[in-house]
Amino acid sequence: MMARRVSGAGTASRAAGERLVAHVLLACTVVAVVTLAAVLAVLVREAGMFFADVSPWRFLTEITWAPAAAEPRFGVLPLLVGTAQIGVGAAVFALPAGLMTAVYLHQYAGSRTARLLSGVTALMAGVPTVVYGLFALHFVTPALRVLWPGVEAFNALSACLVVGLMILPTVTVLSREALDSVPPPLLDAGLALGAPKGRVVTRVLLPAASGGILAAVLIAMARAVGETMIVSLAAGNEARLTWSPFEGLQTLSAFLTQLGMGDAATGTREFQAFFAVGAVLFVGTYGIHMAGRMLVSRSVGRAGQ
Amino acid sequence: MSSPAAPTDAPVLTAERLSVRFGRRVALRDISLAIPRGRIVSIIGPSGCGKTTLLRCFNRMNELASGARTSGTVHFAGMDLYGPDIDPVEVRRRIGMVFQQTTPFPKSVFDNIAFGPRASGFTGDLQGLVEEVLTSVGLWSEVADDLDTPALELSAGQKQRLCIARTLALKPDVLLLDEPTSALDPEATARIESIIRALSPRYTIVIATYNRWQAARLSDLTAFLDRGELLEYGLTETLFTNPREARTESYLTGRTQ
Ligand SMILES: Nc1ncnc2c1ncn2[C@@H]1O[C@H](COP(=O)(O)OP(=O)(O)OP(=O)(O)O)[C@@H](O)[C@H]1O
Ligand SMILES: [Mg+2]
Repeated sequence: MMARRVSGAGTASRAAGERLVAHVLLACTVVAVVTLAAVLAVLVREAGMFFADVSPWRFLTEITWAPAAAEPRFGVLPLLVGTAQIGVGAAVFALPAGLMTAVYLHQYAGSRTARLLSGVTALMAGVPTVVYGLFALHFVTPALRVLWPGVEAFNALSACLVVGLMILPTVTVLSREALDSVPPPLLDAGLALGAPKGRVVTRVLLPAASGGILAAVLIAMARAVGETMIVSLAAGNEARLTWSPFEGLQTLSAFLTQLGMGDAATGTREFQAFFAVGAVLFVGTYGIHMAGRMLVSRSVGRAGQ
Repeated sequence: MSSPAAPTDAPVLTAERLSVRFGRRVALRDISLAIPRGRIVSIIGPSGCGKTTLLRCFNRMNELASGARTSGTVHFAGMDLYGPDIDPVEVRRRIGMVFQQTTPFPKSVFDNIAFGPRASGFTGDLQGLVEEVLTSVGLWSEVADDLDTPALELSAGQKQRLCIARTLALKPDVLLLDEPTSALDPEATARIESIIRALSPRYTIVIATYNRWQAARLSDLTAFLDRGELLEYGLTETLFTNPREARTESYLTGRTQ
């Protein structure tokens, strides 16, 4: 899409002012681009040195991740599995709740209820993640251990539940935007064909908004995958190759937080491993993001008849 | 065109002292009119005069708009449409409506047509029904090979014909058409007009249109609404050639918009 430029004739001094504004904006853009380029350059250089040492094949297929061990192992699979568990698990909890809230707000809630719920949603989005993490550790995990005594003190289930709670506002808000973008006459048409409201919601509203809803889920998953504090507090921070929700795990991003705390010296392979993991995370998150964007533009293209 | 009808012919829909307000704004004031069975009735009038609102009162769609308050009565085939034991969902199955914007669902052509019948628990020959209604809007020959085509890939005129067919699939008694051609080019418009003619007198048709010539071409009776009031209602020919009200005349001759 092309943005339309505002053009208007003005005095010379106004023109000079506008040129100044344009230069400042350009400078900001340049700073952002240069910073991004520098970040990418560091990432590529360190990851490159890592992969010169450890073959990508071994990196992707070995099943043990122990970069700081006396005999270090660099199989990233446990981190990938852990990351997928958190991303998918959180979405499994957040999607039904968020989507139902969005449908309720869009179709059923009175304006006062809607305002109240929107306020609560905004409030949830403002809770620091460390608070969520402590909630997971001191409330959710003990509750889970009452239900299933086999649950470990650090476990994936607690992390998924609470990360799901954290991304709930994202899912709700973005799904609601997707619902709002469905033209109201389409819903009227469904009702005018003698369908009860519930049927119009499930057969017309949701299918028409499905692209946007999927994008909402992907964007929320990208947030879940990037979350570190809740995951570290609830699921421990130990790389283990397991799908069990009752055991602890480590994600790519949670591992990265250890760079700040650890004692990996610059230039060592252990140090470079962080950048390799960072590169994987970057590619993965970027992929999810682009998939979401593509879905959004495709669904917009289809709705605009 | 069918033989002229007096507004006193056996009415299907009768509005009496019908008023609608949105908050403080009055959209319809004290409308009383009868729609005779099997006729085509046009509702004309300047933008915002209440054409859409009147149509939506006839199938109880209007109450879905937030803040709409309706008073007065509408009778359909002798029963009080706004009576306490009337199910609005059932009303909408018998009084179908087509909208100004084309509104195909993001589904296949087949599923668009099947939507209404399925919602009302239709158990007969769906395939046959789809063919029948698509034929009656001249769409069958164009899409018969591929009923799985997404409806959104049809042309604008085809979309609107699909929407009409979709409504016909419910076998309603009355068709309410709200400016069904305002988004279409002249050719597609002519097509829709000939379909409307062909559907009469099997269906009673009420058509809201800003296009007075369309009203003149199509309808047996014409109602002229102005600022929520029914100024004049009668045989189309009489209303166009010899209007009773000065305001009708100035609207018809294009001196007001
Ligand atoms: N949902 C609504 N909420 C508030 N006011 C409304 C609503 N729908 C219609 N109105 C008002 O009621 C009046 C009649 O509107 P209506 O849409 O029935 O006119 P119309 O004759 O169909 O106009 P047009 O030719 O532009 O379609 C207008 O003043 C409009 O602003
Ligand atoms: Mg209208």
